[in-house]
Amino acid sequence: MKYLFIDSATATLVVAIISEDKIIYIHNKVTGKDMSSDIMPIIADAFNKTGLKPQDINKIFAVNGPGSFTGIRVGLAVAKTMAWALKIPVVPISSLEVIASTPNKENNIALIDARRGYVYAGIYDSDLNVIKEDKHILLDNIKDKGTYVSYDDFPGLKPNIDLLKVIKKHENEKGINPHQLNPKYLKLTEAEENLMKKSGNRSN
Amino acid sequence: MSTYILAIETSCDETSVSIIKDGCDEISTVILSQMDVHANYGGVVPEIASRMHIENITMVIEETLTKANMTMDDITAIAVTYGPGLIGSLLIGLMAAKTLAFIYDKPLVPVHHIAGHIYANNLVKQLEFPLIALVISGGHTDLVYMKEDYSFERLGGTLDDAVGEAYDKVARVINVPYPGGPLVDKLAHTGKDTYNLPLPLDDDSYNFSFSGLKSAVINLVHNEKQKGNEIIPENMAASFQNRVTTILTKKTLRALKELNVKNLIVAGGVAANKGLRERLTEECQKNKINLIIPEIKYCTDNAAMIGAAGYFAYKLGRRADLSLNAKASDKLH
Repeated sequence: MKYLFIDSATATLVVAIISEDKIIYIHNKVTGKDMSSDIMPIIADAFNKTGLKPQDINKIFAVNGPGSFTGIRVGLAVAKTMAWALKIPVVPISSLEVIASTPNKENNIALIDARRGYVYAGIYDSDLNVIKEDKHILLDNIKDKGTYVSYDDFPGLKPNIDLLKVIKKHENEKGINPHQLNPKYLKLTEAEENLMKKSGNRSN
Repeated sequence: MSTYILAIETSCDETSVSIIKDGCDEISTVILSQMDVHANYGGVVPEIASRMHIENITMVIEETLTKANMTMDDITAIAVTYGPGLIGSLLIGLMAAKTLAFIYDKPLVPVHHIAGHIYANNLVKQLEFPLIALVISGGHTDLVYMKEDYSFERLGGTLDDAVGEAYDKVARVINVPYPGGPLVDKLAHTGKDTYNLPLPLDDDSYNFSFSGLKSAVINLVHNEKQKGNEIIPENMAASFQNRVTTILTKKTLRALKELNVKNLIVAGGVAANKGLRERLTEECQKNKINLIIPEIKYCTDNAAMIGAAGYFAYKLGRRADLSLNAKASDKLH
């Protein structure tokens, strides 16, 4: 089986092709603001270098959040459109689970900075079982045992992702129809929060 | 052989895809408007717009092809709005277009949103050159001279607020709900021009300025309130609209005369304004000018216009590669 993996939720863009349990192409680099320019040429390069055609891909594994709202959407727009065009399923993957695939003996507390003291956090054991669901939370409110793993400035490990471990964990999932593939932001927009506050006050 | 352009437009709050044959024939168009959602916030919220675009983009593409009874194999090239517009919104259509171009190995044609508005008119009647285009929307007020297809020379434009923006702000002041522009237009038709408002930037340039007129409305409403007088919204709408249409018509007609051009097209969301349509129709008849104003459905944002412009850009050999990025603002070229 051949899979395409896309993770654009943080500044580190990961594009990979996995064929018969082996990673035959991986791009895993800080891309930052140029993500929307870079992602398609990188995907084209992945197919070029491996000699595969998009039509050879059986399933797409796409990170759908949490993380940078725009970043998530850039990768998902590609994954959705590609899966729709190729008529193949997509398996949504958590950005925090990918970060948590970093080898460690104790539980990994994967973190993405969400500003103003908040983080996106998910806790996973070394087999990537979910110990605590991904959420948007004040960093100070995390009391669990484990090692922080983050691309951002938190004390702990820097991610050293084990992509095959992530793929193996989800390989047998059927996946979803690409129309149904949507971001998991874990946070409302400010406008929605303000509207809810307002309507909350009114009903009080 | 015919050229079929699949066009994608997501620059603001409409997710739209269209298939256009030879730049003039609309085969199918789907427009998913988010207006009802943004109405809750009194204006377009960019992050919400982006969130809705990503949810719907592939369904809108599929529905457009299904309606046309076509597959991607029938498509010659893919056109997409790369700007100007809301970056987060633009990116969804752009990424989808780049992915389709890659998977199906089709040419990718970048289209400027305003070129789209202008070429909406080509869906009504083939453009005749030279022409002057009056582009008026929530984000633009431009007078553009075109000596031939896809040649754009900007004669002038707004120095501050776009005309649609001024409408929305005035709407708020006279308590007209979002989207204010069309409702102010409607009110104006039942009111009389009774308020003393200035004719904005009445000079010999081709530029416009609407922020002074907007402030004049705000001050007048404020002063009347302090005196304990109620303003009559219908009359305020009529007075405001009369100034706007007067100056737009005056400068557009002067440009036509000075450049000796006989063809005028009007484009953009504010081209749906009835007051302006009536005024321009009357003046163009008097001066023997060929006027084309698109049907209202082609005035607001849609992908059909991007497909029409995209056809001419394609014929001219305009192409983008897979690194094409979205631009919040860009000169029309």
